[in-house]
Amino acid sequence: MGVTSTAPLLQVNHLKKYFKTPRGTLHAVDDVTFTLEAGRTLGVVGESGCGKSTMGRAILRLLEPTGGEVRFAGEDVSKLSPAQMRAMRTKMQMIFQDPFSSLDPRKSVGQTIAEPIRLHRLIRGKQERQARVLELMETVGLSERLVNAYPHELDGGRRQRIGIARALAVNPKFIVCDEPVSALDVSIQAQILNLMKDLQEKIGLTYLFITHDLSVVNHFSDDIMVMYLGRLVEKAPSEDLFSHPTHPYTKALLSAIPIPKLHRETKRILLKGEITSPIDPPNACRFANRCPHATDQCRQQEPPLRERAPGHFVACFNQ
Amino acid sequence: MSDQKRHGSLALDIQGLVVEFHTLDGVVHAVNGLDLSIEQGTTLGLVGETGAGKTTTALSVLRLLAQPAGRIRAGSIRLDGEDLLAKSEQEMGKIRGKQVSMIFQDPMTSLNPVMTVERQIAEVIAHHTRLPERQAVEQARQMLETVGIPGERGSEYPHQFSGGMKQRVVIAMALACSPQLLIADEPTTALDVTIQAQVLEMMKQLRQTYQMSMLMITHDLGIVAETCDRVAVIYAGRIVEYGTLEDIFEHTLHPYTRGLFDSLPNLEDRTARLKPIPGLMPDPANLPEGCAFCTRCAYATDQCAQHRPERFYRTQEHYAECHRCRQICFEKGGSAVWE
Amino acid sequence: MAVQAAAKPASRDARRHNSQMYDAMRRLAQNKTAVLGFIIILIMILLAVFADVLFNYEQTVIKQNYAEMCQGPSLAYPFGTDELGRDILARVIHGTRVSLSIGFAATIMASFLGGAIGAVSGFYGRRVDMIISRVMDMLMAIPGTLLAIAIVAALETSMRNLILALTISSIPKFARITRGAVMTVKDCEHIEAARAIGARNGTIIIHHVLPNCLAPILVELTISVSFAILTISGLSFLGLGVQAPRPEWGAMLASSRTYIRDYSYMTFFPGLAIMLTILAFNLLGDGLRDALDPRLK
Repeated sequence: MGVTSTAPLLQVNHLKKYFKTPRGTLHAVDDVTFTLEAGRTLGVVGESGCGKSTMGRAILRLLEPTGGEVRFAGEDVSKLSPAQMRAMRTKMQMIFQDPFSSLDPRKSVGQTIAEPIRLHRLIRGKQERQARVLELMETVGLSERLVNAYPHELDGGRRQRIGIARALAVNPKFIVCDEPVSALDVSIQAQILNLMKDLQEKIGLTYLFITHDLSVVNHFSDDIMVMYLGRLVEKAPSEDLFSHPTHPYTKALLSAIPIPKLHRETKRILLKGEITSPIDPPNACRFANRCPHATDQCRQQEPPLRERAPGHFVACFNQ
Repeated sequence: MSDQKRHGSLALDIQGLVVEFHTLDGVVHAVNGLDLSIEQGTTLGLVGETGAGKTTTALSVLRLLAQPAGRIRAGSIRLDGEDLLAKSEQEMGKIRGKQVSMIFQDPMTSLNPVMTVERQIAEVIAHHTRLPERQAVEQARQMLETVGIPGERGSEYPHQFSGGMKQRVVIAMALACSPQLLIADEPTTALDVTIQAQVLEMMKQLRQTYQMSMLMITHDLGIVAETCDRVAVIYAGRIVEYGTLEDIFEHTLHPYTRGLFDSLPNLEDRTARLKPIPGLMPDPANLPEGCAFCTRCAYATDQCAQHRPERFYRTQEHYAECHRCRQICFEKGGSAVWE
Repeated sequence: MAVQAAAKPASRDARRHNSQMYDAMRRLAQNKTAVLGFIIILIMILLAVFADVLFNYEQTVIKQNYAEMCQGPSLAYPFGTDELGRDILARVIHGTRVSLSIGFAATIMASFLGGAIGAVSGFYGRRVDMIISRVMDMLMAIPGTLLAIAIVAALETSMRNLILALTISSIPKFARITRGAVMTVKDCEHIEAARAIGARNGTIIIHHVLPNCLAPILVELTISVSFAILTISGLSFLGLGVQAPRPEWGAMLASSRTYIRDYSYMTFFPGLAIMLTILAFNLLGDGLRDALDPRLK
């Protein structure tokens, strides 16, 4: 695709997604800007309702963005015609959260994995297509004899493998992973995370990894961005973010992770105050209501995203 | 292990519990000879994966198994020395909510959407105390204050509360009659981490003020580390390892427990590769003859596949059901080192 | 191979792989009353198909035979004969052919049309849904039988118009049921997943949405056939449906009601036929509903 190693694979500029509700305009994703280089993983964390899933879908145009642009390998995705967009989907794929509802219950494993190949006419012959399906199944660690099985006969881990195989079927460069392991048990979760890591190394995939689980994102991502009520509040390399969290929200979030170790030393920051409504939010820092360090400035202006250290961006006046 | 003397100090004592579900596809063996006891005033963490029998165990205590499919085949459940399985349905109605309460995972489904929250709490109080309505509502508001919700919000409906607040309401309802035992089934799984931290903190404080015993059902070892005194690890309907928090976290015996720890991403060493447990939990309709974990265990031998393991006691309290533990422990002297 | 090895085989994999529909049919087969309903329907279909083999239409069914009129049930005429000396058994059996063919034809047409309208309405939502739903509401406000009477009266009584009338009066029900089911299914992640792999709306509706809406439509289909049969009988009873001498249960009831005091068997057998048919379809419909209910899984 002519992507040089220096140019980012994905550039998101001032992306906005608003929803009209009876009570006003819901700012689900508000002015988010970031870049993602090929072969890397960007983790997106935040609590429910922070807009992380909406952002992933707006990037893939599963939801039409309200504003901003998404450049994939230099091409503005938001300006593509429906037909061009369908072709683009062979390069950008998605893995879904719920392995139970993300598979069509009436399609067998083989049918589900073959569908993208059929739709994009990647392989014409029936036998060749079947061979490709089996190859994909092997890649994701599904045994060949499950090709005629139906999703309801399989456990969550295997279903998620089907979802991964379906995404890989079109040889994508970039995959949005929307909470791919949060519905799974820990032992299965580790299997899937390892699989996704191996695939990244083998095929050179680029991931946008959306999750609410901070220990998973730390393990999996090169960089992490933290979202709060539609806003990007902090973005930094994973190590940096965990060792030097800067935004007060990030600090609270990190301190709240229950750690499976005895005698933890770190003090927990318990947040107080009401969560600001994302419907017609005021022109102020959206975290100000719960922030222990909020000043008048925070309640009157939205803090811009600034680079505090190389590669470490924060949207906070007080840091 | 079930000498009469111990009953006095035990809030809950389950011995040899066997629960089956009779479905169209055959008999599902959900719980298979489970022993569990909680000392007065302590918290026991029941840890395991989906389908291990955690919730079934909890529902058996309340005698709320799905009917007619769910059947308690054998065993005894004693609450404060009293045999719950011998109680009539009417007697159970007096025990539920009064002596033992349960908090469910999803706060939305545990609340009635067309009733104000204070009325819902008052209903529980009125059912068990015969207080007049006004006083019950008054007490309900006090309960809301205890869980950190302003009393005047009691006149609102569940949909006006956020997820964390709803779970607080559910907790207030569960604690309304100061039960001796609180069963919390994944109480914070549906909540965000920052809200989860608040709710867990509050539950810890309430447990102390009310001097309750608690059964904390969870899959999250982090939550166990923060809230529990003792831990029972459940696998395919049996307790495979039991001990104090320290026993489980620092002297892990059972390979399954070890596997659970290894599956978790390490916050300190982010690049370390995860070590998942291979395979799946056995189908509860078709359990293996020997150790239920043997098909996934790296240390399994022929003996493991054929015979159900005996308990191996590392200390008086800390045990694991594993053939290989004994051997490996003796070899390494004292604590099991799995490598 | 760096990728994690596949999980070890669990016992359930050894089983044949069954689709959900297959499992539902297996559950249906275990439901005794539904099976009874199914057997009755099957017998009726066989009788309808082989009606000509059993009784000659020209000779036995419509030919008047005054020598044999008003005979009670006997070995020669198990159901007796009517006021024109025709074998009631033969007429009831040939009536099955009329009722079932009109009932099935109307219902199947209504399910296709109503299903398509409902699918479009539910899938696209917004204005399309608004307009379609209001039109369906208007149709629904008129009682189905009344609507059928109006249509048949306005056009003329013929088999074709009867089917048309029943189809139109059944469309709103199918549209509404399909719309509801589509609206639930279209929010599932697997629909979004289909879009993410680049499927067009048409493909999504036909391959992913409708197959998952089959359960409620199938239940409605059985219930609707029984409604159609009942309506045909009702219309014929009123003289607006199937015309004499063609045998139809409702028409037979109408013509024999004058003799109900003296020759009650004349009304009894066609009545029994109607009742059995409706009962059978409803039993099957109830059984289907239970078998397809995902909560029982």
